[in-house]
Amino acid sequence: MASVKPSIRQLNACLKCVRQTSSLNGTPRRFLSASAAAREELQTQPTTAPPPPQSATKPAAAITDEKPAKETPEYMQKWGELDPEKVDWKRDERRLVRRDGTQPVGSRRRRAILHRSSANKAEEIAFEELPYQCFQEARKFLMGDRQEKLNDIQTQSLRIKNLMDQDPAVSGGPKAKETRLRSMRDYLNELVILADINDPIVKKKFEDGQGDMNKPIYRYLADQKWRKYKRLVLEQRISQFNIVPDLLASIDPVADVDLGFGRKDIAPGDYVDSATSEQMPRLTVQTFVPGEKLVTVVVVDADVPVPEKDSFTNRCHFIASNIAISPSQTSIPLIRIGHDDRKTEDPAARKIALPWEAPWAHKGAPYHRLAIFVLEQKDAKALNIAEVEKTKRLNHNLKGFVDKYKLKPIGASLFRTRWDESMPGVMERAGLKDQVDVEFKRKKIEPLPHKRRTERMR
Amino acid sequence: MLLPRILAPVRASCQLSSHVLSPASRVLDALRIANGTSAPPALSFVRHASHQAQGRANGAKDGPGKRLGAKKSGGEYVIPGNIIFRQRGTGWFPGENCKFGRDHCVFATESGYVRYYRDPLKHPKRQYIGVALDKDDALPYPRNAARKRRLNMIAVKIDTNSKGFEGQPVVTDLQVGDGTGSETSIRATPRGNPKDEPRGLVIGKGYAYRMANWDIGRAAERANVQVKEFTPGNRWAAWRKSQARIAANVEKKKLRNAGKKSPKPKPRQQRQR
Repeated sequence: MASVKPSIRQLNACLKCVRQTSSLNGTPRRFLSASAAAREELQTQPTTAPPPPQSATKPAAAITDEKPAKETPEYMQKWGELDPEKVDWKRDERRLVRRDGTQPVGSRRRRAILHRSSANKAEEIAFEELPYQCFQEARKFLMGDRQEKLNDIQTQSLRIKNLMDQDPAVSGGPKAKETRLRSMRDYLNELVILADINDPIVKKKFEDGQGDMNKPIYRYLADQKWRKYKRLVLEQRISQFNIVPDLLASIDPVADVDLGFGRKDIAPGDYVDSATSEQMPRLTVQTFVPGEKLVTVVVVDADVPVPEKDSFTNRCHFIASNIAISPSQTSIPLIRIGHDDRKTEDPAARKIALPWEAPWAHKGAPYHRLAIFVLEQKDAKALNIAEVEKTKRLNHNLKGFVDKYKLKPIGASLFRTRWDESMPGVMERAGLKDQVDVEFKRKKIEPLPHKRRTERMR
Repeated sequence: MLLPRILAPVRASCQLSSHVLSPASRVLDALRIANGTSAPPALSFVRHASHQAQGRANGAKDGPGKRLGAKKSGGEYVIPGNIIFRQRGTGWFPGENCKFGRDHCVFATESGYVRYYRDPLKHPKRQYIGVALDKDDALPYPRNAARKRRLNMIAVKIDTNSKGFEGQPVVTDLQVGDGTGSETSIRATPRGNPKDEPRGLVIGKGYAYRMANWDIGRAAERANVQVKEFTPGNRWAAWRKSQARIAANVEKKKLRNAGKKSPKPKPRQQRQR
């Protein structure tokens, strides 16, 4: 770390002189960050519910707590302190991920600069106080715009309050009043977003993955990002794999669902090895609307061959209900939920209605599409697990299931499975030994009856 | 070439008219006069034929018919591969259970009954040809219903006698290793899993007999090879290893070059004067 590039040294020198002059002038400086606390209050107030309470199922925090219990090997301890803000070597990044399980923050270039300046014991300058005139002018402008938006928010919330107090007869009937209130609230939400959308600190925090999902601006940014690529891909896969007419009449994904088995992430539509999918998957469901929700997770196989009828049917592989999610609580660790279920004595408190059945396919049969649906329960009311348990596996009708329990599909993902080397073992362990030696072969197509030439001429 | 010479009198007449300011109706007259008065052009204008009048230039447009059109009518039974419609361009599009051929002919991919129909939800203007799976089905199928599909396959028992399938063990005399699964330093406790037993030679993807990769990986275990445990970060061991490798490479290079003649420096030819 002894070698410092000349450019950085120059910057340091520049910073010193500029800071001195500014302090000499004694100009009063106000930055956006100065009002951060007030802003955060304002943000959370109008739209978000209070942060969700920690649910009974231990969330991701519990998992991370267990990790340090395992002793880190001696050679790992030798690596020393690794700061995710400052690691700038590829090797150190790798070690950080391996030992501490945390990803480095931001770009390597930024981390390198932070590292060097800290090694030089250079003065730390807050991002807002960077001494560039143009930068500061731009900040001033943005700050003015933000102040305008804040004023608008205040007037708008006052208007809403006034309208709520108004007699419905004056405002043209209760229905018209409701409509007006709704549109006014929409505008208020829009203003809340607009107030923060230009803040460079917000942008930086979001890009570093440190955004607080309880705040509307970060949810908005995350939603936009999801819609720009991941949702498009998902929509394409849902339509190309005909998930929509085959399993559900329609779906409008509003939550980002990430699927994975063990360590491996699965993109929508990937083939998954049968040995991998023997264990339950893990789901990460990111919702972009405030408030806690109860969801039901259903996994359906849409391609179960029925040779007797020369057609296909559906099979339900898994149902779990009453799982709580919220924008800040995204993980659905199904394996953990399964463990918790086994411990609970009360059958009503269980969450898994139909336990995981490993996906399987016959040899030679066309691939099986396994769709995973996240279904929101109406009014966050818990379902009766004893009733859900009666759902039949074979010939499962997802449309009927959704209608019966008044569920609303909010997210989906899918993977495919087919015959592979590990399939016989998987099937044997699933108690399907009689199906292992069944193979599917193409049926011979009867040709059309041949007509002789003279016959054709007639 | 001719144009300037022909236009010269016109230009003259125009100038003339601009001077005289003759009425518009007399412009043509003025032109005619101008032409007449000027010296007659010494041009003998010959019209050459620019259009072939004989032979197959104008006739023979009506070649042999290409036998386009419907090969199967609506409601007719077809099997996969049957051509339903031959066309130039895309007057008809393939709908349910149909596909385009390489010349835009529409052929069936399922056996069923031909339907000619429109599907405004899919495309407002196109006309489609489809194959309905059942005789009394109407196309298009409802949009939100699950698709009607056929399996077109039969379930058979796998013939266990034939060993030719991929992934099945083939017992040959080329069995590698003692196959007893002797205990080694690599794995102190041998797994009891039957799938971990060495399987010998197996037909791979390219129809070549080979050991499975995991089987090759266990060869050292079977041969009871003792290996020092790898300690990450042991630079001393790593250095020694790399040195040994470099030395071995140098040896190898020497051996390789031993057979070759070393390039002799050519004797410099003396210039004779």
